[in-house]
Amino acid sequence: MSAPINVRDLVPGTSVVLADGAVAEIVTNPGDGMWLFARYLTSPSDPTLVGQEEMIFAPDVVALGRSAVV
Amino acid sequence: MSMNGAMNGRRGYRSGLVNLGVGEISREIFVNEDIYAEEQERIFARAWLHVGHESQIPKPGDYFVSSMGEESVILCRDRAGRIHVFLNSCRHRGMKVCRYDEGSTTVFTCPYHGWSYGTDGRLVGVPYFREAYHARLDKEKWGLVEVAQLCNYKGSIWATWDTAAPTLTEYLGDFTRFLDLQLDGWDGREGQAEVLGGIQKWLVPCNWKFPAENFSGDTYHNISHRSVDLAGIGPSGAGRRDMGERDASRKLHVCIPDRGHQTILYVLPAGRLPPPAYMNAPIVAEYFRHCEEERRRRRGDESRLIGAPGEIFPNTALLSRQPRTMAAWHPRGPHQTECWRWFFVDRDAPTEVKQFLRDYYIRYSGPAGMTEQDDMENWNYAHAASRGTIARRHPYNYDQGRGTAVADYEYQGLRVPGEVIDLTEVQSSEQPMRNFYRRWAEFMEADDWSQLATWRVGERKAAE
Repeated sequence: MSAPINVRDLVPGTSVVLADGAVAEIVTNPGDGMWLFARYLTSPSDPTLVGQEEMIFAPDVVALGRSAVV
Repeated sequence: MSMNGAMNGRRGYRSGLVNLGVGEISREIFVNEDIYAEEQERIFARAWLHVGHESQIPKPGDYFVSSMGEESVILCRDRAGRIHVFLNSCRHRGMKVCRYDEGSTTVFTCPYHGWSYGTDGRLVGVPYFREAYHARLDKEKWGLVEVAQLCNYKGSIWATWDTAAPTLTEYLGDFTRFLDLQLDGWDGREGQAEVLGGIQKWLVPCNWKFPAENFSGDTYHNISHRSVDLAGIGPSGAGRRDMGERDASRKLHVCIPDRGHQTILYVLPAGRLPPPAYMNAPIVAEYFRHCEEERRRRRGDESRLIGAPGEIFPNTALLSRQPRTMAAWHPRGPHQTECWRWFFVDRDAPTEVKQFLRDYYIRYSGPAGMTEQDDMENWNYAHAASRGTIARRHPYNYDQGRGTAVADYEYQGLRVPGEVIDLTEVQSSEQPMRNFYRRWAEFMEADDWSQLATWRVGERKAAE
């Protein structure tokens, strides 16, 4: 099992891989260590989510995708 | 005395514990834990309470954690710029959703299980919403608890939990004029105040009504501040305030019956501008001289009113001149009060003026302020010495000036509202305290606002 990701460190523009295999790009990070606002880039289990902005719960983030250029 | 003893039909609050007919008030109302618990329901859950000032939350997402009675509340501005006041407690298990004093955020997230709320109070994030709740939880139903009514009065934010309470301006009645002295600009423009720096908070081991009655207009305790007067902390290097305008004025106690609000007030003679002040700082002195002229030009005869310590029922204190501050006396149990003090300046005052006033305000008020320290000593030890079995048997005396207040007071063509005692010769009265406790007793006895809005009865009769 990989180490948990500290979502507080993630900046907008970073993409994250979620537990169900979806990939989302961070839009806003409220910095509370629990939630991210992110837009779905892919969602194999529910394609209707693609393009939608959702709140992502920290434990659902299992890996980092592309990092944002800061 | 037990709560039953205090509340039975034969000895209600008004006729028993608060006996204004003879000017006596039982110590029980300050130290009895049952009475304190009853106050939370009957006073703090029904009255309008001061929460903060809009200048503390200038931008969308800004918040300031305040207090209404014992309860923590969040004053915040949502993404659309609207101001809200929410109970600072998660709807899931009650944890505080905001544990900072102030800041800016996009969401308030409960650290316990992670429920998350937008700055408009809506529940926006629920962990495992689809999985554990099967997407069936009605998020619209489980937003943060919002106050029943909120009012932004000239930048000051007030709220009440009671849907049946009258509007804030009706609640204030004629006292609005004295709140205006606090919030309007020194030069007479409306609503120019801003909060200077952060607010100061401190605990005093006394019941919340000690500071509330003190700021209702207790001029009798001036002797307590004798050492400050001798030290000369005032802005012109003597005393604790500039007294020129006061020495030239009529000094009044003004009480708004039925509302429970009261204040000290100075009224200048017709045609008279306040004498020079802030003489140790030429830039400040010139600024206020200019402001006084402008105030006279804009407000006319009304500019003769000079504000002084006052109290809006139940727990908001005003001090509109030197130093210009507001305070809230938050109950923290029957034997402890958390005092909060806001410091005000006009937002477009020169920087030099703001800096000078900040130094003076801090020298005077707050936990390190020399004058406020004197008050804390009195409230602390008076409360402690009133808790004992023997002490509780003996009521406090509120007899001073009983039966001498007049209505329709007028001084050189300027009418003053409410019941007034002219203190210029008699020096002191306890009419403000009697007015405060009369209202306190009404709140403790009334079942709802149909009984508390006593002025409406008179208005109905007049209409008939």
